[in-house]
Amino acid sequence: MSEADAPTADDESAGLLELEGVHTYYGESHILEGVDLSVEEGEIVALIGRNGVGKTTTLRSILQLTPPREGTVRYRGEDVTGESTHEVAERGVGWVPEDRRMFGYLTVEENIRVSVGPDQEYEPLREYVFDLFPDLERFREKEARNLSGGQQQMLAIARGMVGDNDLLLVDEPSEGLAPMIVDQVVDALREASAETTMVLVEQNFPLAMDLADRFYLLDHGSVVESGSTEGVTADDERIRRYLSA
Amino acid sequence: MMGTGFALAAVVSDAPLIVDALGRLLQPDTIARILIEGLGKAAIYFIIAVGLTLVFGLMGVLNFAHGAFAMIGAYVGGILMVLVISGGTGPFTRIAFFIVVAAVVFALMTAVGSALEIGLVRPIYDRTPMYQILLTFGVGLILEEGARIVTSASGIQPEPTWTGAAGTIPHALESFYSILGASIRGFYMFAIVAGVLVASAVWLFLNRTLYGLYIRAGSEDPEMVEALGIDVRKAFTVVFGLGTGLAAVGGVFLMWDPTWGPSVLLNIDVLLYAFVVVVIGGLGSFKGTLAAAVIVGVADSFTTWLFNTGIVAFPGLPEVTIFLLLVIALIVRPQGLYGVEEVGGH
Repeated sequence: MSEADAPTADDESAGLLELEGVHTYYGESHILEGVDLSVEEGEIVALIGRNGVGKTTTLRSILQLTPPREGTVRYRGEDVTGESTHEVAERGVGWVPEDRRMFGYLTVEENIRVSVGPDQEYEPLREYVFDLFPDLERFREKEARNLSGGQQQMLAIARGMVGDNDLLLVDEPSEGLAPMIVDQVVDALREASAETTMVLVEQNFPLAMDLADRFYLLDHGSVVESGSTEGVTADDERIRRYLSA
Repeated sequence: MMGTGFALAAVVSDAPLIVDALGRLLQPDTIARILIEGLGKAAIYFIIAVGLTLVFGLMGVLNFAHGAFAMIGAYVGGILMVLVISGGTGPFTRIAFFIVVAAVVFALMTAVGSALEIGLVRPIYDRTPMYQILLTFGVGLILEEGARIVTSASGIQPEPTWTGAAGTIPHALESFYSILGASIRGFYMFAIVAGVLVASAVWLFLNRTLYGLYIRAGSEDPEMVEALGIDVRKAFTVVFGLGTGLAAVGGVFLMWDPTWGPSVLLNIDVLLYAFVVVVIGGLGSFKGTLAAAVIVGVADSFTTWLFNTGIVAFPGLPEVTIFLLLVIALIVRPQGLYGVEEVGGH
């Protein structure tokens, strides 16, 4: 590739996020075996697949929490592979992790405050989040560990939304929640998606297809299927053989 | 039987004296004295231990060099005081110099601690805790032996204590004052005021500043803090530096403490007290460190009183009691008074 062809921050065709041949290991365990994917600005992209195929590791690789040993992660056309996690996050990549990862001994408000960058104005973001999640405002002085699972998930999403993020990596947002709470979480994610691009890891297949514009199906650490979510069901043969146990 | 009787006689010197001492223990002035002196000791233990607990809470590092930082603080503080104080220096000037010296030692040792974190501790974060223990213990030993060499070469006693530095204390703090009927050494009241100021400053930093919020969040989950765009390694440096500085300030107070004084032995002695406070309070807990410092300080004061009144003729009683408290805490509440099950890590 010549220098002129190399993607730059201004190159809109480069997409918001691109993974190219990403190989990630935990110790000697080879988890991602050459993942390629791209995410365009404004879309919701679902990563689907059975447990242990590398969905969460893909998100961790993007954030450089588990840095890839091979391959490239590009954000806005710039290679972020090998950067510190906080540098990737500062670029505008937010994370709503699988197990919510609340700061349990901080209050709800402190959990939100810690997510707002030092250069951002806090008050408008605080009001925005509390308007969106009235429950959180009600419990703003409560330590996060005392919230219900659903409230914690709302707080995790809220935390991702206030961080001035252009890309939100959302991992298993419906896991362990009652169906009624899942509906609220879905509403919150739709609200968030109006502001940010999203990569969604979700075991609940219909939910993932309902929320996402496109999907990547992972198996054994690499992408085996991808495309638009329109009309895709779990009965689809190409999906079923990878999702069934 | 005879052996047991002999041992008891060595410890408990005189039965009528015991009855008399126990009678005095129930007097309000004795209780006031034990409590106020205990709070004075607690203040210094807190100043030293709070850095240790913050470092463990945020970084998951058990810093075995912490006592050496207090020891260096005592010597550097002592040297500076000896340099600026003369026989004619008045009490208020001495206290003013002491405050300036404590501030200088704090700044100097905060910088030293930050440099140590960047240069030595940071490269081994991703290794097992044993590496951190060995490294920091080694740093402590190097500092202890270094201090022994420097002090010996300079004509300063490395042990048991350097009396020259202790002699810079103003007479007003050596004198005894009547409070609630008890006769209290002025130094302990001075230590209480300093302890309250330091505890308030640390609390305000942790609870009223954005950086303090990052540190509290990082104590729970540093990886998540990093994923929020905060450079948690920078916070590690700041906290390790502040912890070192606070330990050194505690050492400056020990310089004037009648039961301590500058000595290379502070390295291990202070480290043990600090660990007892931190473990009883709960590793990583500010509140716990405060509460445990009060428990250890009052226990220390009480057992020192028992020895001084002659009820127990065993000079090591305060140390034994404090380690007994540690054992009880580990059995009854292993996570400490305010500890959480798991803190630190990176």
